[in-house]
Amino acid sequence: METLKEIFSSGFLLRNSVYTSVLVGFACPLVGVFLVLRRLVFLGVALPQISSTGVAVALSLPVWLGLTVNSAEEHAHTLAFAGSTGFTLAAILVLALLERRGRGSAEGRLGTAYVVATALSILLLSKNRVAEAGWLDLLKGEIITISNFDLALTAGALAGVLVMLGLFSKELLLVSFDRTMAATLGKNVLLWDAVLYLLIGLTVSVAVLSVGPLIAFGFLLIPVLTAHLFARNLKGFVILASLLGGVSSFLGFWLAYQWDWPVGPTDVVLIGAVYTLAFAGKKIIGR
Amino acid sequence: MSNPLITLDHLAIGYDGQAVLSGISLTIACGSFTAILGANGTGKSTLLKTLLGLQPPVTGVVRFGAEGVKPVFGYVPQALQFDPLYPLTGFDVALMGTFGRVGPARFPSRAERDFVRECLHATAADEFADQTFSQLSGGQKQRILIARALATRPDLLVLDEPTAGVDVAATHSLLEFISQIHVERKLTVLLVTHDLPLVRKHAQQIVWLHNGTVQSGTVAELFTPEKMSEMFDLEVG
Repeated sequence: METLKEIFSSGFLLRNSVYTSVLVGFACPLVGVFLVLRRLVFLGVALPQISSTGVAVALSLPVWLGLTVNSAEEHAHTLAFAGSTGFTLAAILVLALLERRGRGSAEGRLGTAYVVATALSILLLSKNRVAEAGWLDLLKGEIITISNFDLALTAGALAGVLVMLGLFSKELLLVSFDRTMAATLGKNVLLWDAVLYLLIGLTVSVAVLSVGPLIAFGFLLIPVLTAHLFARNLKGFVILASLLGGVSSFLGFWLAYQWDWPVGPTDVVLIGAVYTLAFAGKKIIGR
Repeated sequence: MSNPLITLDHLAIGYDGQAVLSGISLTIACGSFTAILGANGTGKSTLLKTLLGLQPPVTGVVRFGAEGVKPVFGYVPQALQFDPLYPLTGFDVALMGTFGRVGPARFPSRAERDFVRECLHATAADEFADQTFSQLSGGQKQRILIARALATRPDLLVLDEPTAGVDVAATHSLLEFISQIHVERKLTVLLVTHDLPLVRKHAQQIVWLHNGTVQSGTVAELFTPEKMSEMFDLEVG
């Protein structure tokens, strides 16, 4: 309880980290719902990795351009955000175009994108020790140094995603559930697909930049699967998934701070444990 | 003939510029009950997509109404095609029928929701409308989907093999119901099926796709012993 009091105290040094972690925990399941319902879970694995490759490129850029360390550090966050968002959106565009042509295996493409993105990140950073350290922190989910600007950027972007999802929920649901019906009602199916992918891409890139690919993927998927076990309607499903993500991320932070564990893996193991217990509980009750 | 709702003029249909059926000229009149009949792979779905304006014809023209205004389609797909992952109630699914009238960033009003309840009542689906859609029987799902189509306030009710995966009793009941709303509401109905007895009993006009040919006419014109023998001879050959 002492740790909890410390986290809630006004002078808590890692306050921004808690806020960011909880924001990502609440927001990721909101787009994760569409990844699960549209059976695009592999996309949820590949995108955070591709996004972190964007970060790796961005962190390497100052070295390639011959900039000084100070100058590079000043612009590191902006560069990383641009790299993360740019790579994520470009990947979504390419994968969507290939999907539209309908040739080959979508899973195969996503698997290839995942493994190549990971390898490329390692290659890019192998000759850049400063960038490598930053990227490894990101990969491990070390949510420690989050500035007010980073927090504001995360909150703003995720609030934007939330508003868009709320406003266009019926169109996004309709094109996901019944594309032919959507087309007969005069809805532009490609446009609404693009809007959905844009929101997924933006959420993933902001989440990866704030908390790393491990937690981003964990929160995109696991709270959604847990909520799905109990969902009786769509509204309840989305709200429960988001609450599970937000609450788990806070509890994960608390445990990690209490026991001096890395936050990212703690969060993911915790929501994994919640899912396992919920799954087992439902099976036992359902007998 | 009454006012034409859709006119197909020397149409060739297919994919990527390759025609799979050609020489299609027919009119779907307002208030008619038309069936597109044919075995799997004869081009029924391609013709339907072209009729609905979802796919451009290879050649020829599709004309809508007298003034060229595209009609509102009340589309009823096969109940089997829906992913059971979606935790939607029957009401949630039926409510989608109003989405064509409710623009982006707006939500169905109380009046629209009440209208959807009326449609569910009309299709005798109100009893199970609050249950999870994926857990309903094939016949129950079809009633929800017909309610959804009625909620669009359609000019044309389009049923794409609605009895696939539905048992015989439910099939009979569904088609009786569709015939009833066709008569009572003077609703134009387009039914896509491979079920010949159903067509014979309920449809007025038939579009029969067979071995790359299209024959159209009334039940009396096509279901004569001579025509039937011709069609089945073709099938055997």
